[in-house]
Amino acid sequence: MSQKKILVVDDDPDVRLGLQLRLNANHYDVIFAGDGVASIAEARKHMPDLMILDLGLPAGDGFSVLERLKANEKLSSIPVIVLSGRDRVGNRDRAIKAGARTFLQKPTPNEKLLAVIRMVLDPKESTPEVVYDLADPS
Amino acid sequence: MRKRALQVLLVEDNAGDARLLREMFSKEPSGSFELSHLTHMREAEARLKAGGVDIALLDMGLPDGHGLETLRRARAAAPDVVMIVLTGMEDEALAAAAMKEGAQDYLIKGQIENRALPRALRHAIERQRMQREAELMRKNEVELRDQFLSHVSHELRSPLTSIYSFSTIIADGLAGETTQQQNEYLQIILRNVRQLQSMIEDLLQVTQAQAHKLTVELESVSLNEAIEYAVDTLRGAAKDKEINLSFQSSARLPSVYADATRVRQVLTILLDNAVKFTPAGGTVKVEAREYEKDGSMMQIEVSDTGCGIGPEPIERIFEHLYQVTDPGHAGRRGLGLGLHIAKDLVTRQGGKIWVTSELEKGSHFFFTLPIFSLAGVIRPILTQEKSAGDSLALITAEVECRDGSPEVPRKTLDVARMVLQQCLRADSDVLLPNIGPLSEHKRFFVVANTKQDGAESIGRRIQSQLRGHHGFQSDNFNFVISHSFLPPLTRDANESMETFAEEVASEVRDQINNVCLQGAI
Repeated sequence: MSQKKILVVDDDPDVRLGLQLRLNANHYDVIFAGDGVASIAEARKHMPDLMILDLGLPAGDGFSVLERLKANEKLSSIPVIVLSGRDRVGNRDRAIKAGARTFLQKPTPNEKLLAVIRMVLDPKESTPEVVYDLADPS
Repeated sequence: MRKRALQVLLVEDNAGDARLLREMFSKEPSGSFELSHLTHMREAEARLKAGGVDIALLDMGLPDGHGLETLRRARAAAPDVVMIVLTGMEDEALAAAAMKEGAQDYLIKGQIENRALPRALRHAIERQRMQREAELMRKNEVELRDQFLSHVSHELRSPLTSIYSFSTIIADGLAGETTQQQNEYLQIILRNVRQLQSMIEDLLQVTQAQAHKLTVELESVSLNEAIEYAVDTLRGAAKDKEINLSFQSSARLPSVYADATRVRQVLTILLDNAVKFTPAGGTVKVEAREYEKDGSMMQIEVSDTGCGIGPEPIERIFEHLYQVTDPGHAGRRGLGLGLHIAKDLVTRQGGKIWVTSELEKGSHFFFTLPIFSLAGVIRPILTQEKSAGDSLALITAEVECRDGSPEVPRKTLDVARMVLQQCLRADSDVLLPNIGPLSEHKRFFVVANTKQDGAESIGRRIQSQLRGHHGFQSDNFNFVISHSFLPPLTRDANESMETFAEEVASEVRDQINNVCLQGAI
């Protein structure tokens, strides 16, 4: 079985590297984008199985990335997990309305992040120890 | 700058009263007031909606509008217009109620002096202007501070994320093997990350508490569930320290009239502290019972076998930012906001919070919450003497999503509750708080003290107000409104209002259970 591909969109290189190490260790392929425009280009090029998206980004923030993804027939099927340091209040609802599958607040415990990724990628097969409510995993 | 004439709308059906008031204005210099006069509420509403009125003088007994309802309708038609109500001599209570509902002033008929009227009008307008300005300033200030805090917390969370993620990467051996000592030190880093994280959350919470943004919405809350939830949350932390954490309740506790989220939050704060300050092998216990000093309250107790609190700090422990600075117990364990938040939340739910403690033996934190009583909610609308033909109706309003989704968004339900509240007549209708399981919260119940045909008109009013409210993205929701009458009940001469209210409440409960078909309460 080929490895699932995850596109991590975050402007903080430390966050990108941290996620890369963690996700590689869990057998995911990881590709990156550091801003809004690059995220769409990378998505087009690699057609990832999942996107992990920060909200505060240069060149088009996370919401505009979601908007452009959802407007594109091919890209709209890529599930998106928003992972942001911004307040849940307001941002969570807005992100989900814009098409994100769920909202996670930084810093999110590794186990929770991985469980949510498994649930989004493979809702049937995953049997995480803790089942999160995807609409509101907090 | 020349001031334009103030546009005054007088709504008064009594020709004599109207003439008297008109005469008072005639003595004012021309160009200072322009008076128009209407006799019916329906005309007045249309005139107010059309705009251009600065101030309205409202009689509280019109042919088509009575009491506070007059004021409510006028304010609904034109929320920015200054309202002054005209009441009779015996009606000071009504005047006071009107002021609470947003009237700027009241004038008692027959006691208005000539010069007093224009002055009252000018003052009322000035007062409203000042209130508006103060409100606006306060709002700007709060908004600025909120923006700042949300920005700061975001900025703090980012570096914290990287500290967390790389510490765990090293600890999990993703960057090569670590020695046992290195691992221990990494756990210290991680413990501090968690502490910093909860400080950031506390900081946001307390600013919200100060801005009274921690909303408290009272409903019937299962105390068993709230306690079990909080105990479950802390179970992991207690187990790590080998602390015996228990909640013993033999029977089903009565429901309390509180906010479920906030009750859990208070319990979590108290339990978190108890676990923190209790040494390994200790005990933390939650108990709940009727409050012995007041049978209408429940008392919840969180006790521990921890280090206890000395007599001086115990006085100040609920204060903002207060911390017990005991070097033996590593003072830096939080921002000292938890108990302050707990006190704020308990007080706003109608309870009180206190603590008893003995050094080295442990602490007992207590708080109280009112027991939910349907009779207590209904009691205010039961009149002392029932007039013939009056009866009690149960009006049910259910919000449905047009797309068939079973979940109605919380925000929509909040707006619906607010709109419903505005449709009711004070003193004769009451909107019941949320009762029963969450899935039932999209149903609202109103008990209306009304004549037979009144229930329908209340239903129609609710329907049209809900439909007209911009809070409902117009076409997404349906409102199903129905009503039924309670069996006629009469109070015996020697029966107390309290007993009678209990009797009515039990009928209401039966009817609601009929509607919900699953014994919700």
